Amino acid sequence: MLDTVVAAETPEGIVLELHPAGLPARFYAFLLDWLIRLAILWGVAIVARFLGGIGIAFWVVLLFLLEWFYPIAFELGRSGATPGKKTFGLKVVMDNGLPITPAASFTRNLLRAADFFPFCYGFAIVSMLLRQDCKRLGDIGAATLVVHQPQAAPRITLQKVEPVAPVRPLAPRDQAALVALAARAPTLTGERLDELAALAASVSGDRGSTGSAVTHRVLGVAQWLMGRRT
Amino acid sequence: MTPLHFEELYQPEWRELETLLDLILGRRNAPKSAAPIQGQRVAVLYRRACEHLALARARSYPAYLLDQLERLTSDAHQVIYQRHEFGLAKLKQFLTEEFPRSVRAHSTYVWVAAALLYVPTFVIGWLVYERPELILSVVSADTAASYERMYSDSATSIGRAAEGDWMMFGYYISHNIGIAFQCFAGGLFTGVGSLFYLLYNGAIIGAIGGYLTERGHSATFYSFVATHSAFELTAIVLCGAAGLKIGHSLVTPGRLGRVQSLVAATRQSAAMVSGSAAMLLIAAAIEAFWSSAGWIPHPVKFAVAGACWIGVLGYLTFQGRRAD
Repeated sequence: MLDTVVAAETPEGIVLELHPAGLPARFYAFLLDWLIRLAILWGVAIVARFLGGIGIAFWVVLLFLLEWFYPIAFELGRSGATPGKKTFGLKVVMDNGLPITPAASFTRNLLRAADFFPFCYGFAIVSMLLRQDCKRLGDIGAATLVVHQPQAAPRITLQKVEPVAPVRPLAPRDQAALVALAARAPTLTGERLDELAALAASVSGDRGSTGSAVTHRVLGVAQWLMGRRT
Repeated sequence: MTPLHFEELYQPEWRELETLLDLILGRRNAPKSAAPIQGQRVAVLYRRACEHLALARARSYPAYLLDQLERLTSDAHQVIYQRHEFGLAKLKQFLTEEFPRSVRAHSTYVWVAAALLYVPTFVIGWLVYERPELILSVVSADTAASYERMYSDSATSIGRAAEGDWMMFGYYISHNIGIAFQCFAGGLFTGVGSLFYLLYNGAIIGAIGGYLTERGHSATFYSFVATHSAFELTAIVLCGAAGLKIGHSLVTPGRLGRVQSLVAATRQSAAMVSGSAAMLLIAAAIEAFWSSAGWIPHPVKFAVAGACWIGVLGYLTFQGRRAD
């Protein structure tokens, strides 16, 4: 159970895979958000000094707003993430995969006061390290989850090899394994590719033999499975 | 059907959905188009993409296809199930019904929290008034002296010592308001945190109030705190009540699991907590702009404070009764 994937089923009957963000990613995001808040307060403080009393009263209210409502405002926005989280490709969702609700965002951010306990977010860190889904106390209470946003996978182009029909019917699992091997082929050394292809040599009727010609035919079978006929 | 054929057949639909999502999410590569987005079309394409993903998984199609479909469906899922609760109508409903009703629905917790805050306030306040040296067992001598300086009649602006102490003023405001959220969050520690923060802050408030009254600064002190405390103390009580509720839900989860029970409790008390957050915002604004203004005569401040207290308590007691 090394994988930390959380499965969330949608009403449409498909299972979405959520990838909870771990402590380091969330720490960097927090750090960036903290710096942004600091910069805003610093900038406003400079202006406020010239305005005197009213300016400073405004700064005080801003301090309160930024401390508690900065994350809520961004989480309920379009991207569902603070600028820090967005930069590191993170996002806050409900733990059933739905977009975060206003009530949950309020709850998870106000419960930060408990996460902060006893100092420096001690409980949050312990909770995140102990739990497989890396929730801090606020996330547990509000049933939310911080996830990695799915990144676009590069489209794989298979090497141009003459398609070869398999000599025996293949189960879907075997087909998937062959196609995955073909997709990985460009990243493997020739020798390693030959070794792996030799394991699958039976599909092209070359059981027991090895060599670049066998590899060529195995990759050809993968092409055939993908749907290329010429 | 082979993967390539499958992809070729349905790629146009995926592209269309992707373009619509780019438009909705305002992504950088979104095409500039003035045509309104057809919500129905997005829903149809989303359901189709879900079917395609289920098929592709069942047929063990190559990883890049599954990846593409997973990304597409999860993006569309987020867009389709997004809840829009930020309209003025929703805000009005929250203020006129949801918030006060949620407070009344949790009246037992609210009364207990109020007792936990105010009983120590009056007991300690009276004790310190009778025997001022007791203040030193609650706060340090330096703090007591600084409070006395802040509220002395000679202070140019009440609630702070000198021109350079605005930082401290800011600190006090965000600290005082943080107390409310601590009272709520403390509930996660089986309610002990809420209990502690309510009692502790009640004691501190009482001690300082009693001390300053005894030293003869009552006019300055009470005119400073009376107005914003209507919002601040009430919000602390409400947050404490929410904290007690989630603590209670952890101790006696009933037929639910402990985490389930906690989630249900936070959901039920969310309206009360977010309403309190709004009250704290009002309190911060009053404290920063009104309470600290030295030029406003005390009778005016006390009159406004009385109106605020009656307004807040009346609002929580009577607003939205008809819908109960």
